[in-house]
Amino acid sequence: MSSASFNYVRATELTDALSQGKRPGAAYLAGGTDLLQLWKASLTAPQDVIDISRLPLADITRAGDRLVIGAMARLSDVAAHPEVKAGHPLICDAILASASGQVRNLATAGGNLLQRTRCPYFSDAGLACNKRDPGSGCGARDGENRHAVLFGGSSGCVATHASDLAVALAALDAEIAISSASGERQLALSDLYPLPGETTAPDSSLRPGEMITAIRIVGAERFAPHSTYLKIRDRASFEFAVVSVAAALRIEDGVIAEARLAAGGVASLPWRLGRSEAALIGRAPTEQAFAAAGELAIEGARPLEGNAFKIPLLRNAVIRALQTAGDQS
Amino acid sequence: MKDRTIARYEGVLKVTGQARYEGETSPEGLLHAALVESPVSCGELESLDASWATALRGFPTLVTHDDAASLKPSAATSLIREKAIHFHGQPVALVAAASLSEAREAAKAINVSIAARTALTQMDQALDQAYAPAMVGRFPAATRRGDSTRALGQAELVVRRSYTTAVNNHHPMEPHAVVCWWEGKKAVVHTCTQAIFGTRAIIAHAFEMPPADIRVLARYLGGGFGCKGQLWWPWMFWAMLASRKTDRPVRLELSRAQMFTLVGRRQETTQDLALGFVDGHLTAIEHDVVAQTSTHAEFSDSTAVYTRFLYACPNVTTRHRLVRTNEPQPVPMRAPGTAPGTFALESAMDEAAELLGIDPLELRLNNFADHDQENGRPWSSNSLRECYRVGAERFGWAERRTRSAAKIGRWKIGFGMATTLYPAIRQACRARVALRADGSLLVQCGTQDMGSGTYTALGQIAADALGLPMDKVTVELGDTDLPDGPFSGGSQVTASIFPAVDAATSKLRAVLTSIATSDPASPLGGKPPEDLEFADGMIRSRSGNAGERLTDVLARATSNGLEAEGEIPATDHQKLAATGMGYGAIFVEIGVDPELWEIRVRRVCGAFAAGHILNPLLARSQYIGGLIGGIGMALHEETVTDATTGSILGKSFTDYLIPVHADMPAFDIAMIDENDPHLPGGVKGIGMLGTAGIQAAIANAVNDAIGKRVRKLPIRIEDCL
Repeated sequence: MSSASFNYVRATELTDALSQGKRPGAAYLAGGTDLLQLWKASLTAPQDVIDISRLPLADITRAGDRLVIGAMARLSDVAAHPEVKAGHPLICDAILASASGQVRNLATAGGNLLQRTRCPYFSDAGLACNKRDPGSGCGARDGENRHAVLFGGSSGCVATHASDLAVALAALDAEIAISSASGERQLALSDLYPLPGETTAPDSSLRPGEMITAIRIVGAERFAPHSTYLKIRDRASFEFAVVSVAAALRIEDGVIAEARLAAGGVASLPWRLGRSEAALIGRAPTEQAFAAAGELAIEGARPLEGNAFKIPLLRNAVIRALQTAGDQS
Repeated sequence: MKDRTIARYEGVLKVTGQARYEGETSPEGLLHAALVESPVSCGELESLDASWATALRGFPTLVTHDDAASLKPSAATSLIREKAIHFHGQPVALVAAASLSEAREAAKAINVSIAARTALTQMDQALDQAYAPAMVGRFPAATRRGDSTRALGQAELVVRRSYTTAVNNHHPMEPHAVVCWWEGKKAVVHTCTQAIFGTRAIIAHAFEMPPADIRVLARYLGGGFGCKGQLWWPWMFWAMLASRKTDRPVRLELSRAQMFTLVGRRQETTQDLALGFVDGHLTAIEHDVVAQTSTHAEFSDSTAVYTRFLYACPNVTTRHRLVRTNEPQPVPMRAPGTAPGTFALESAMDEAAELLGIDPLELRLNNFADHDQENGRPWSSNSLRECYRVGAERFGWAERRTRSAAKIGRWKIGFGMATTLYPAIRQACRARVALRADGSLLVQCGTQDMGSGTYTALGQIAADALGLPMDKVTVELGDTDLPDGPFSGGSQVTASIFPAVDAATSKLRAVLTSIATSDPASPLGGKPPEDLEFADGMIRSRSGNAGERLTDVLARATSNGLEAEGEIPATDHQKLAATGMGYGAIFVEIGVDPELWEIRVRRVCGAFAAGHILNPLLARSQYIGGLIGGIGMALHEETVTDATTGSILGKSFTDYLIPVHADMPAFDIAMIDENDPHLPGGVKGIGMLGTAGIQAAIANAVNDAIGKRVRKLPIRIEDCL
């Protein structure tokens, strides 16, 4: 069999999929919007492709203060779901800012969280990339790095994570349910994404054969009145974020009682802005409070040659997102 | 000649998938080819080890430089005859296999051994090695009229600025493809080309065979923009050699990634511009261009050429220089020269207006060139001032002072304007028309339709001349079995086919008129020919009721129909009594987010004067398409080379941004009809005009909105900080 070929299996039962998925060289296929492109560009060459798109994991349910999004739910279905729209508009905003309508009709929520980076050094098999070929180096660090990270980069990788949905979910403290042939586990979304090492830079902490089966968001409806997803990009649609910010506030009696802020396009994972959040608590939603949060958001940023502009951009994006979220009611 | 809004001749065929593009040709026994690419950007190919690849299933043929040794040396064959590596991704061999996936896999399995040398991968690493080419297209590379040094020394105001433009790639929707085979000593080549006869001539040269033994077909093109030309030939030759070696038809189609490296690019430029003014009038212009070319070929856009024509100015010095790098070779790309050149000139004029404290539009009117000062002759026609007037009025330019810098939502509003221009030229052309006994008309011309409307224009010109409706007309083009037509480039196809079709239909009209008037049995018998007109499928008397259907006239002489050919020879544009130039004035409104620095074009008004417009519907479409390309160049498109490896980064539409639907502004297109007595049919080309001027208009609008002057393209978020 040639390296361009693979065994295709359509799974109908989760247990069946998981037992097939543990084989070395196996890949799960959900919407296929990422895997197919990677395969066509020779960036991945799975031996076994296990199509999980028909597994009964596409339900979106709300029980009490808990929203569960099945991993196989299509992005367009998630964004159009009445419970998500009503209680979790931040998720809708982030999804509708992603990709294009056609892609959202195919792509799944679980797959979206596991999409590979869009660093141009990753997407060219001839260039150095520790994420693709551990030990090969990082071409972007001293090369073209307009899109690179501000936070958490290493000498071995400066690639950003591309998902908008992940940024919104990080702000809402989402958890993910993971299954494998040997059982189930839960993970905070923020723990799904490791920081890069010096010679390796895995995209996720999933172990071989593991599959995301669901996304759970608990108690986040309280942010619905004051949340927004702001995505900044070079063209009006169908582009990954240069910088994005998910902002969610709970305002009580004119005072910020809770604040959630996460940034996209600035790290290898959705970057929670903890200091900015803490500084907002107990303050009125004023320009001064938002400006201070913006300044705190960029503390510790470490730019490269081509991406220093993202620092003032992130600061201003945090301020703008907070203004937008704060203005809503 | 009438202007008529006629829907695209081949429109239904295209939207229903019936138009067959040449790459879709699938003869029996077709082999699929893939290219083996160099992983380094400079060196010498030493050897290819195909031993592992030959063990793969479906791997019949490897075609290398050794196979191309039989081809005649020329610029078109050097890359496949000589083993020097000039750029990253340069093909070093072609493999043909039973399926595309097998071919690609075999190509990957071939081990390439290259003695690498140090590469020069960035133009600015070698500015000190810039050299002057002799010509830029059909213009001299360096010119001097008057004494600009002295005039700049005496000017009241000197504006001296540097501007840069990025590398762009053409990216037609349809990638380059060839399906070719041999019939004995004859070759049949279905391929995407903007020049079927040029392609036939170069095949004849390379393979040393008579042109008559070669048939090249390109009946539909999914865009060209300048890249479906000479850089494709070496890879097409390899496919033809593969076909000859296997005695089977071979198909090669480039991938989107290969479209970034193998078929040309718009070269990057650094432009130094100095404008001198006395009393608001230009007294001096110096325009100095440095641009990239490859180490295997030379190309320079005519970037500073338009500076010689656009404004009245007694002292003008222009210069072009090139820097060779180990990067892909540039070729003309839509609005070649004029797009980057007007970005610099029209940005600098805006900067001058600001410094002079006068309206940018007024400054341009004050410096209008009422004749071609470079060649000292009149314009064939020039309605630029009318473009300014009409465009400004429709756009609402007078409200600039009050409305721009206003805020709408999160957007700070900016107004900007600039001028676009492109020469009106034409080529030699032959065309044939045949009126059949049933009254239907066949029009044939060996040119191509890049998607811009050549089918429609050919049919329309012939139909109008003979007074027939379009549904009686069949148009054939894109086949070297047809009469020699012009290549599709330089905005000159319509201007070239018009006189040829006009000559052919005039002959046909004369014969038909003679048949009718000389036959006493005809209702037109004995009528004076000058009193007759062709309309509604008839020949009619203008002064009386007499008339006869064309089919009936034809039947009086023959049952086989009649045909005629027309021809226009090549034109020496330097020797014409008047200079033909098309113009436009572009007005744009943009929004810039003053804190997030996103830029969006909100509306564009283009007022164009380009001779007589045959078909306003198609012209409008072409202007808008051109403007969209210009928006891409202004705000989005940039091809980036990795300095270390020389590899082009992000060879996909994920990374190479082009405008999407959501970026589209409201377009208002005004067409100012000109009556140009110097040009056949009064026709000027329009294809380039939309793609120039808009870049400077956008940059000028950014400055108007946020007070930030950006002197580089594309203008990105980080440039507005």
